[in-house]
Amino acid sequence: MIDQIRAELLKIRSTRTTLALLVGLLVLATAVTVLTGLLTKTGDLEAASDQRDLLGIGGFASLFALLAGLLVVTSEFRFGTIRPTLLFTPRRWCVIGAKLAASMLTGVALAAVTKAIVLAIGFAILEARGIPVALGGGGTTGLALRVLADAALWGGIGVGAAAIIRNQVASVIVVLAWLFVAESVLFGLVPSVGRFTPGRASDSVNGSSDDHLLPPVAGAAVLVGWVAVLVAAGVAVTARRDVD
Amino acid sequence: MAPVVVAESLTKRFRRLTAVDDLSFSLEPGSITGFLGPNGAGKTTTLRMLLGLTAPSSGRALVFGAPYAELARPALRVGAVLEATDFHPGRTGRNHLRTLGRSTGIADARVDEVLRLVELAGAAGRRVKGYSLGMRQRLGLAAALLGEPELLVLDEPANGLDPEGVRWLRDFLRAFAGEGRTVLVSSHVLAEVAQTVDRVLIVNRGRLVTEAPLDELTARVGGAIRVRTPKQAELEQALRAEGMEATSTADGVLLVPDTTTERIGDIAFAAGVPVHELTGERSSLEEIFLQLTEETEEGGE
Repeated sequence: MIDQIRAELLKIRSTRTTLALLVGLLVLATAVTVLTGLLTKTGDLEAASDQRDLLGIGGFASLFALLAGLLVVTSEFRFGTIRPTLLFTPRRWCVIGAKLAASMLTGVALAAVTKAIVLAIGFAILEARGIPVALGGGGTTGLALRVLADAALWGGIGVGAAAIIRNQVASVIVVLAWLFVAESVLFGLVPSVGRFTPGRASDSVNGSSDDHLLPPVAGAAVLVGWVAVLVAAGVAVTARRDVD
Repeated sequence: MAPVVVAESLTKRFRRLTAVDDLSFSLEPGSITGFLGPNGAGKTTTLRMLLGLTAPSSGRALVFGAPYAELARPALRVGAVLEATDFHPGRTGRNHLRTLGRSTGIADARVDEVLRLVELAGAAGRRVKGYSLGMRQRLGLAAALLGEPELLVLDEPANGLDPEGVRWLRDFLRAFAGEGRTVLVSSHVLAEVAQTVDRVLIVNRGRLVTEAPLDELTARVGGAIRVRTPKQAELEQALRAEGMEATSTADGVLLVPDTTTERIGDIAFAAGVPVHELTGERSSLEEIFLQLTEETEEGGE
């Protein structure tokens, strides 16, 4: 399994797709932090909770981790590399497992870089504007760890979903439509059910302040549950399907 | 020695179509077997069942005595190329091989070794999208050879190769089998592999039509020796004295069935007849192939 994970990590590093995701993420993180930091009134940046909002930017790293997870699986089917991959590792659960591990690590890496940029820019802006730091070191670390864990889990959701829907375009469309349309509708209409969806569970992990959301720890547990269910279904489906 | 590959009543049904129908055969070590049949005969489906990519509807396929998926690190025993296009276009040739090597614990040094072997060392750092079809074929072969396998399975490897590439592949496979290793190579053109293979498996409509050594096949279905001589009548007489019946063609050539070039040469020499041409009628191989596959079509429905 370690060998397979090393292979998957090299696959991720050896195309420009990951680099493109990383660059997109950095541009976004920089732009959002700079704009928020500069355009917010001084009075709205002094409280610890305000600073938490500024320094907590970076939840969108999870969206990029999700895309990375989807691509790790679907690009193999799109380009046919799944054939040599399975010739070298015919145990399919092992291939999916390695992709899961590699995608979760990629999610952590994407989130870590995002977080580093957000914190560096955020603190620099506070200092430049002469606003004293109200958020303690523990609060900052907590924010960072949440984003890292969340991104790792979304990498896993991407792998599970793509193992079920292995067509690249279809899987990206279905997953994004679920996240941005179906979940919003469900949460809007029936929040008691909608809060168990992956996207809303993730919001609670990231410390979103909506009253209808689950507590962060419960949200994390629900998100882990989604990863487990999707990956288990993905493994079962992958084991049964013929590879043309 | 135990057979390298055994197919036992392999059958694959897709909704209505039976792509492979009760196919049984085995491969002996050190042989080069041509797996032949027209497009759509079930060759590719059979190879995918052998390699664990597709599950048989019934029957089973064993590679080194076990289903492929149960081999521990199969790439160290079996190398296969199924499609010439199975690469991520944005990945370099070297990295493609490294990703595969890593999954089986093969060192990067071996990657550079196979790149030199298939003469791609110079292009190894370039992205595959810039590769010609011939280069992709060779990169696929390099991947198959990474684990120094004892069995090589190639699906239509000559597609897209130029004549030089075909010759290179032929020499390579000969050398590979010469070391006691085994090759299974599919093709829809018999002539393409006729100079490479020892024996043929011919399939049509998912069924095995013929399994035979190549020379037996040639002899069985009207393989004839072609002789050109200025003294036709004298040679015919000499052949008849040896119990052979020659037929003369419109272009002044004698065709002699069921014999060898050596035998005819000896007879002509003994009779003092000059011979201007003496060849095995290899060009009829394609006709044999068509004949065999057509026969089953008539018998089929």
